[in-house]
Amino acid sequence: MSRWRYLKDRIFVGAVLLTSILTLAPLFHMIATIVVNGAQVLAIYGLRFFTETPPPPISGAGGGIAPALVGSILVTLLSLPLSVSLALLAAILSTEFPRNPISRLADTFSRSFASIPTIIVSMVVYTVVVVPMGSFSALAGAVALSLISLPYAYTAFSTALRSIPHTYREAAYAVGMNRLQTVARVFIPIVKRAVVVGILITFARAMGETAALLFTAGRYRAGVSLDIRAATDAVPLMIFDFITTPFKVYHEIAWGATLVLLLIYLAIFIAVKTAVREVRL
Amino acid sequence: MFRSKHDRLFFISLLPASIAITGVLILFILVMLSKSYESINTFRIELFTKSVWDPENERYGVLSPVIGTFVTSVISVALAIVLSIPLSISTVEFLHGRIRDVVSSLVELMGGIPTIIYAIWSLNILAPFLKTYVMEPLHRYLGFIPLFSCRPVTGLSMFTAGVAIGISLTPYVTSLIIESYKLIPTMYREACLSIGATRYEMVKILLSLSRPAILASAMLGFARAAGETTIAVATVGNAISVSMCLFAPAYTVSAIIASQYGNAGLYLYAESVLYSAALIVLAATLLLSFAGLSMLTRWRERIVV
Repeated sequence: MSRWRYLKDRIFVGAVLLTSILTLAPLFHMIATIVVNGAQVLAIYGLRFFTETPPPPISGAGGGIAPALVGSILVTLLSLPLSVSLALLAAILSTEFPRNPISRLADTFSRSFASIPTIIVSMVVYTVVVVPMGSFSALAGAVALSLISLPYAYTAFSTALRSIPHTYREAAYAVGMNRLQTVARVFIPIVKRAVVVGILITFARAMGETAALLFTAGRYRAGVSLDIRAATDAVPLMIFDFITTPFKVYHEIAWGATLVLLLIYLAIFIAVKTAVREVRL
Repeated sequence: MFRSKHDRLFFISLLPASIAITGVLILFILVMLSKSYESINTFRIELFTKSVWDPENERYGVLSPVIGTFVTSVISVALAIVLSIPLSISTVEFLHGRIRDVVSSLVELMGGIPTIIYAIWSLNILAPFLKTYVMEPLHRYLGFIPLFSCRPVTGLSMFTAGVAIGISLTPYVTSLIIESYKLIPTMYREACLSIGATRYEMVKILLSLSRPAILASAMLGFARAAGETTIAVATVGNAISVSMCLFAPAYTVSAIIASQYGNAGLYLYAESVLYSAALIVLAATLLLSFAGLSMLTRWRERIVV
């Protein structure tokens, strides 16, 4: 091999590896910045950070993110049943009857929700749900979240169902089961863990969403609200509002809230990773 | 298709979910069309050829945000492709065992991080960094090029938004490219190595084989970048203006919706104008995703022997 070709190969491999490290650098920098800034805030604010409401902008330090935290969990949990049940039924339909035109349509439509910008979902839900109801509400936020997380749940479920070897179906039919029994007694138990992982992914996606909540969930920060017909708040939404204000105390709260959000996301990610690894064994 | 009455009943019992999904999508499109009709009918083509946002006098033109969306998406896709290809090659070709698992987990982790986290990082860290180390030097030494002609004042600009969205887009594009690159049959790799090609020459050949897949991934990435809201609002600077300069604050369609839709109900046409702008973006993202997905499917069918 000529010297030049050898050298070129070496330079190429080095450059590719270097660029890859550079590409992942923002991830590390992001996590480090958020942990450093957020931990400081959490240390100063203490446990009150999780139990109090945000302070007025020009007061001293103090206050917390309780309304946003409770609102986020409320809205996300409300959205899950809708997106998960629709996605699961559509996934079963399109794997059991793949050639039927109706199930093909359901397949295309479930996937195409992913290419609708989330801000547009927010606009439409505002027009269809918030305006007739007369106010922002946790319910409207949940509807918007379930629409944006539907394609993620659908992809997770249909990938899981499709990965079951054909022999299981043949075995089920051979002992005289019909399709419903096959799905309910054979397939669902096999993909149970994958379904749980899918739900976790959907939860993480919905929990971190900001744009879909802009015109739907409202921004009620004066107290914790559990009424699904009343306006509520969400962690990403609060961070979004606070980082665009000029107030220092709001910036601090935003950093702390970002750390909380990041930790929740990391916990879900690790849970998903361990679950998936166990499935492989 | 239905082997028994039970199967038919099962099929029918699954229908409501699909009908609901289809119904929601149709309702969605109907709402968008009916809401945007008013403004398009009133302002006609001028709505898309002028750049005005003056709701007090009911004068509108959404050219600036549309261009802003296009420019930021082009920058972000270009950056994402430049970063994704080396990362994909590393994971597939050069890394093995434990390290490969760790790197692909990191890519997955990066892809799932909520965009609001990217937004707060981009606003506080990336924007000042780009301003000092990229935009100001470019302006000082290459200021005669119209793209770099204006002085970066705040660090919030189309360029910043493009880079920030590009970083958040990279994991997505990387996963698409890796998925395609892995599908290239081993025999091509073996053929390259058997004639004594170096790793560089082999990767070059394999990349040229996957060019359509990379293009399709770029289209899908563009569709995602065009709809990105949170990062755009935080970094684009939010000003209605049309200039050739990348360092000037601007708007994207999603950013103008995020900051103006809340008050749009106070004016006669504002809401409808925002719906029209959204309709353009929606048409572009749907078109690009369908085209990109069908391109990927066709390429995969052809490459797998």
